[in-house]
Amino acid sequence: MRNSLIKAWYGVLFVLMAIGGYAIIQKAQAGMAITNLTNATPWGAWVAFYIFFVGLSAGSFLLSTMVFVFKMEQYERIGRDALLVAILSIMLAGLFIILDLGKMERFINIFRYWNFTSILAWEVRFYIIYVSILLAELYFSMRQDLIRMAEGEGWKASFAKLLALGSTDLSEESKQRDHKMLKILGAIGIPIAIFGVHGGTEILSAVAKTRSFWYSDLFPATLTSLVSGTALLMALYVIRTKVIGRQVDIKMVQSLAGLLAVFLLLNVGLEFYELFIGAYSLKHEELAIIKTIIGSDFSWSFWGVQIFIGVIVPLFILFSSKLRQSVTAVTLAAILAVIGILGVRFNIVIPALIVPILQGLPWGYYVPTLTEWMSSIGIIAFGLSVYTFAIKVLPIDSLEELEGGSYDG
Amino acid sequence: MSTNSKSNGPKWGMVIDLQKCSGCDSCTVSCKAENRTPPGVSYNVVLTEERGTYPNVTKVHVPRPCMQCDVPSCVQVCPVMATYKLDNGITAIDYDRCIGCRYCMINCPYGARYFDFGLDYSQEMVGANEVQAPEYGIDRGKREKGKSPIGNVRKCMFCYHRLQRGEEPACVETCIGDARYFGDLNDPTSIVSKLAASPRAFVLKEEMGTKPRVIYLK
Repeated sequence: MRNSLIKAWYGVLFVLMAIGGYAIIQKAQAGMAITNLTNATPWGAWVAFYIFFVGLSAGSFLLSTMVFVFKMEQYERIGRDALLVAILSIMLAGLFIILDLGKMERFINIFRYWNFTSILAWEVRFYIIYVSILLAELYFSMRQDLIRMAEGEGWKASFAKLLALGSTDLSEESKQRDHKMLKILGAIGIPIAIFGVHGGTEILSAVAKTRSFWYSDLFPATLTSLVSGTALLMALYVIRTKVIGRQVDIKMVQSLAGLLAVFLLLNVGLEFYELFIGAYSLKHEELAIIKTIIGSDFSWSFWGVQIFIGVIVPLFILFSSKLRQSVTAVTLAAILAVIGILGVRFNIVIPALIVPILQGLPWGYYVPTLTEWMSSIGIIAFGLSVYTFAIKVLPIDSLEELEGGSYDG
Repeated sequence: MSTNSKSNGPKWGMVIDLQKCSGCDSCTVSCKAENRTPPGVSYNVVLTEERGTYPNVTKVHVPRPCMQCDVPSCVQVCPVMATYKLDNGITAIDYDRCIGCRYCMINCPYGARYFDFGLDYSQEMVGANEVQAPEYGIDRGKREKGKSPIGNVRKCMFCYHRLQRGEEPACVETCIGDARYFGDLNDPTSIVSKLAASPRAFVLKEEMGTKPRVIYLK
């Protein structure tokens, strides 16, 4: 049963990646004409996905610091997973933004030339620093377990040996040193993640003085990312543990669910203020954008995805004393919350670009094309495949935790 | 490009007299013909605004080229410095460097920037792709799939290639009401400098602090 389930999972991922690959080839050949983007709405789904994954990465990373920096041991089981998700998410974000370029083959220009006044230019450099820190952290968190895995036989052991980078020290002191490194790297990573990576991505749009709806100093940046990070890691932990056939740590899941509920509530409050401040200004452009968000052809994405799927249903589950006890229900709430945050990202990017920037210019209208959806789903499937592969070959779960069982993925 | 040194060369500017503009759109047409811009790309448009309430209504036409701002937000945000100010006041785009991220389009307060999606008029016109305008004085030959400026952001550059030949921008030359003036804003005796000093002069979205080089007369 479990094996056939895993096979089906690989099958689905393969099909989605094939579809996505086809769509990406189409984009490479035909260019941006295959999108529904226009000169009124020059950014669309790919940018929304990009911001979503940057947020997811920052949120996962901040969650990992609870384990490695703040030593909240109750979350230890998801520490390495959080780092892995953070790394993969930021890489997916990179794929999305490269796909979004009109001249994909020139993306390297962004490193060759550096406009000091461009937030975007700073942003990509922060990503590099950030990914380096995350990779180093993941290494130190797994080092001893990699060495232990390398003692076995087969290609996985050889792979682990390669990843251990020649280290063979299994002593207690070296373990302490790893922990110290993790604490230092995590502490450096926190401001980089909040201000450089996630804050920076929010600021991309917040500095757009011409787009009054984005031009604000308070975007509920970090909280939104914490909602998606916490929710996704919860869901991944439960699904992963159940598939491997181990016991789910219910106490930890409950505790994460509590965190998620708090993040969700705070996020909703800040999002309300975001709209309220815009509406209160009574500027006609702001009002037109808010009307586009809450009362236009695109509003299903706000009321349906962002509010109903992303907030109301998850909060109902998390606050219902009966449903809260069920791991399945809580996992469902987490998955819905992640989808809701995706809606948040779309609602940040697109409505602000529907209203014309100068009176008399045409209004925008944007719904992603099938090619845009297919390529996006393909990229996500690619991320999930790498994730599945990684949890199979890497000691993402601490070997010590796997009491009385050999590690065979 | 620029042989003009910062201190003594011309700094181009444009003055548009809204009282003389009849909203005929011939500037838009001549611009499209001169720059051979593809469908969806229009360096110049005429925005028409209706003012007042019935029966006291009037129409105001505002032609909108690129403002060639002195403090351009597009230049500020471009990650790869593919768009920059020339000494002669024109904001240029390097089609061979631009990566097509469209961040400049997001930041232009005037919607003056257009992405070249790669569409063309080959269905409507024989040989539409055979030749391109020598924008910035560079002959790019035929318009071909995947070749710049397809996939780049484009905009008005005061017909740079015409200025090189000593001609005015196409929209200025063609304007039926003579509503457009073009000249050196560095030269206090030029017509544009004198008109720019008129009490009727204003610029679009002054509050943005972009300091446009296109000045309107009320």
